[in-house]
Amino acid sequence: MTSDESRANPVVQLTAVRKEYSDSVALDGVSLGIRAGEAVAVMGPSGSGKSTLLNMVAGLDRPTSGSVVVNGEDLGKLSETGLALFRRRRIGMIFQFFNLLDDLPALDNVALAAQLTGTSAAQARARALELLDELGIAGRRNVYPAQLSGGERQRVAVARALMNRPALLLADEPTGALDSRSGEQVMDLLLDLNQIGQTLLLVTHDERLAKQCATRVIQVVDGRIAATAGLERSS
Amino acid sequence: MSAVGRVARAAVRRRRVQTAVIGVVVAVSTGTIVLALGLLVSASGPFQRAHAQQNGAHLVVAYDTTRVPGEQLAATSTSPGVEASAGPFGQVTLDTAKSVAARAGSLTTVGRADPGGAVDRLDVWAGRWATAPGEIVLNLPRGAGDLVPLGSRIEIPGKPVLTVVGFAYSVSASADAWVTPAQLTALRPTTAQVLYRFTHASTAAEVDAGLTAVTAGLPARSVLGEQSYLTVEERLNSDVGPYVPFLVPFGILGLAVAVLIVANVVSGAVVSGFRDIGVLKSLGFTPNQVMAVYLLMVLVPAGLGCVVGTIGGNLVAKPVLADAFSAFGAGEAGIDAWVDVVALVGLPLVVVLAALVSALRARRLPATAAISAGSGPRFGRALAVQRRLAGTRLPRSVSLGLGVPFARPARSALTLAAIVLGVMTVTLSIGVTLSVSAYNNAMRPAHQDRVEFLAGLPDRLTLPAGLPGPRPAPALGDAGDEAMLRALPGSVRVAASATRTVHLLGSQENPSVTFSRGDWAALGPQIVAGRWAARAGEAAAPSRFLNQRGLALGDTIMVELGGNRTQLTLVGVTLTNNDQAIYADWSTLDGLAPGTRAETYDVQLAPGADRTTLVNAVHARDPGLEAAPPRDGTSSQAVLLVSSASVLTLVLAIVAALGVFNTVVLNAHERRRDLGMLKAIGMTPRQVTVMMVTSMGVLGVAGGLLGLPLGFFVHRLVGPAMLRAAQSDVFGFVIDVYRAPMLVALGLAGVVIAVLGALVPAGRAARLPIATVLHNE
Repeated sequence: MTSDESRANPVVQLTAVRKEYSDSVALDGVSLGIRAGEAVAVMGPSGSGKSTLLNMVAGLDRPTSGSVVVNGEDLGKLSETGLALFRRRRIGMIFQFFNLLDDLPALDNVALAAQLTGTSAAQARARALELLDELGIAGRRNVYPAQLSGGERQRVAVARALMNRPALLLADEPTGALDSRSGEQVMDLLLDLNQIGQTLLLVTHDERLAKQCATRVIQVVDGRIAATAGLERSS
Repeated sequence: MSAVGRVARAAVRRRRVQTAVIGVVVAVSTGTIVLALGLLVSASGPFQRAHAQQNGAHLVVAYDTTRVPGEQLAATSTSPGVEASAGPFGQVTLDTAKSVAARAGSLTTVGRADPGGAVDRLDVWAGRWATAPGEIVLNLPRGAGDLVPLGSRIEIPGKPVLTVVGFAYSVSASADAWVTPAQLTALRPTTAQVLYRFTHASTAAEVDAGLTAVTAGLPARSVLGEQSYLTVEERLNSDVGPYVPFLVPFGILGLAVAVLIVANVVSGAVVSGFRDIGVLKSLGFTPNQVMAVYLLMVLVPAGLGCVVGTIGGNLVAKPVLADAFSAFGAGEAGIDAWVDVVALVGLPLVVVLAALVSALRARRLPATAAISAGSGPRFGRALAVQRRLAGTRLPRSVSLGLGVPFARPARSALTLAAIVLGVMTVTLSIGVTLSVSAYNNAMRPAHQDRVEFLAGLPDRLTLPAGLPGPRPAPALGDAGDEAMLRALPGSVRVAASATRTVHLLGSQENPSVTFSRGDWAALGPQIVAGRWAARAGEAAAPSRFLNQRGLALGDTIMVELGGNRTQLTLVGVTLTNNDQAIYADWSTLDGLAPGTRAETYDVQLAPGADRTTLVNAVHARDPGLEAAPPRDGTSSQAVLLVSSASVLTLVLAIVAALGVFNTVVLNAHERRRDLGMLKAIGMTPRQVTVMMVTSMGVLGVAGGLLGLPLGFFVHRLVGPAMLRAAQSDVFGFVIDVYRAPMLVALGLAGVVIAVLGALVPAGRAARLPIATVLHNE
């Protein structure tokens, strides 16, 4: 597949996705395509279904109806193990509260993602160090999460997400728990990643983050896509 | 409902799994404690308990009624120091040698109108009491009724026919059988027995003083014999003695495991609720209210568990104790009320104490610290271990799991202790089982290649309907039968024997002697010291016989049979355990009772020879020879010991596994955010399961390595103690029962306990809904 073809085929394709919980409908007939290299921001009020949408794409949750195809894989047809392998190989995830293992230093937190695939400890650590170096925190590699600043923790989380060279990077409120300076650093980081071709889907309340990083913004209201808008990224 | 009650109720509802775990663990632990305490109490004085239960006699005295009238005997009950008495009851000795009850020996038979009374309240455990002439009740411990079945008719020449209508048990051993007073009178007694209880009878001297008091003023030689309860106690304790050293460590292990697990589960429940404790404090709950919430939260399921466990423990313990102590006729024995009280009060106390220790910590913590408890940075050895493991070549799910126990060292230590005790129990139990089997196989070998022929049953024999026999008298003579058996195809060895009860001169004892000839050296019991009694005037005896009488090889004893006496030199120690049975050569019997014919012929079959063919061939030549059914090599005592060990092991292993189960539940609960993240970055459900199971597997390995030598060591103490309690020598083959492959397998018992306990909660952790976990956290 050529680079142009790759860009034409959607990395993510949601078709009429509906997600019901016992007492509510989180997503209601959502259809959405994301092409390779795109940076899509999902915005909307609390409880609108943004995180549910992200969970569907990550294979963390299954739709009640409709289909979710990511990088050519129909997630509805995968077992729990299949979904885990899919996430391991295709998805990188960044969380609002970092979700690092407190018992491991930064380097081993990053290396963990590769070690789960069977990569040796030495190889995984070498690659993790490379990533931490690229993200400017190699000097903090032996520091435990509790001793890192919020921004540093999120950089470690980004490094971990990139460890297995994912087709799609998912970020759930990546700046939500950070001060403004750390938030900006993370925004720059995501922008840089997208500019070198990393497909990005982020959920955020932060309009500045959306404007700076996303090429397209999707507004979700009451579980439906209310609006879609292409963006010229602010510099 | 108060705020405390409302919050506690909500906590119980929300933490269903944890609540259920507390309830189940406390229930099983309470049951274990009831069983363990019950065993310890019963084992500490089984005779005294049974004796007290029956208001047993401290002294049984047999009087010559030709020398002392009944009125004077009755007056002895008012002698100084007599607390209670029963009798006088008429007494005769029935010689059953030529009846179906021959195996029961001579019967000291007493006339009693009923089994109750002030002294020696009998336990009628089968059939009914004798109420009419011609009826007899035999004194047998529970379960021993197969010797002379109910309905058997005992026909003794010159006496009325007596039908066995019931079995009763007297822990005072006051008689071998009972009939109605009218029947006894018809048997023309010349002896009467009186049973006494004294106000002071704890020592032999006090019992002797009682005897002096009751016989004071009676005519000379009016006392024919007397029996102190201390003598009976010594004899019975040697029968049941092996149980005591076996049951005591099991009881202690049960108590330790139960308390450990309860402490672990309860403290874990409180620690895992630290975050909620912080929230409650921030809402304005006082430290005491917070403590009250957590105590209530654990006490509700613990209280329920206690009640269920106490009932369950009683239900399980009753048959175990009844079986173990049936020799004392303790059929109605159960758990003492105080044991139930201890369980019902003690376990909740342990629960409260365990909860308090943790809750007091929470009480002191500031609200913010409590909220962040467990999620803050950890330092020290745990992190260093995790870091080293991260660099190993192990699969990451395994290395992560190996590091989990170090995160909560106290919890892991308690879990490890439970596994260690579990492995100890399994090791000890297997060792005891093997020792009992080795001892049993040696004492009661079940030879598949042998046939035992009995030389007919006595004349005038009537068996109840449904029982085999009787067979006609032997057609050939003794020598003819032996020659015929030797000549048969398929027969390679033949030994002939006859057993007679003799009187041991210089004592009141009447042991049995088996006189043998032919290939007895090959077919008789094994000799463990010395040699077979191969010549006239020689005997071989079990170590129990020698030990009880202070005899050694080379010593002599004088025996009497039918008025003839002979001296026997002890030349060998047999591997048998009947302290009343010794062995001598047939030539000795020729001197004591010339012309006696053999009663039993043991035939060893050639390899491949058919038992049925041989039996048919024998019956064709002499229909009077009855083939005895193949011997069941197992003894009821061995079966009981092994089954008791199995039950106790199973219960303790389950309790230990429950401890592991709880630890994994708590670990998974505390690490649900980490688990969610690990799954989010691609850890498969199988890897999660492997991680959680590994976290306990490492404790299982450590538990195996520690528990195995401990169990081995305890077995080295228990095994010899059991043999000594049975008044037997300590044989190496009974103690050295562990083999290398078995030790390896036993070492893995810890892993089995850990893995079994961890599998279910680990599987549950693997199925954690990631989105929900990460969203909620």
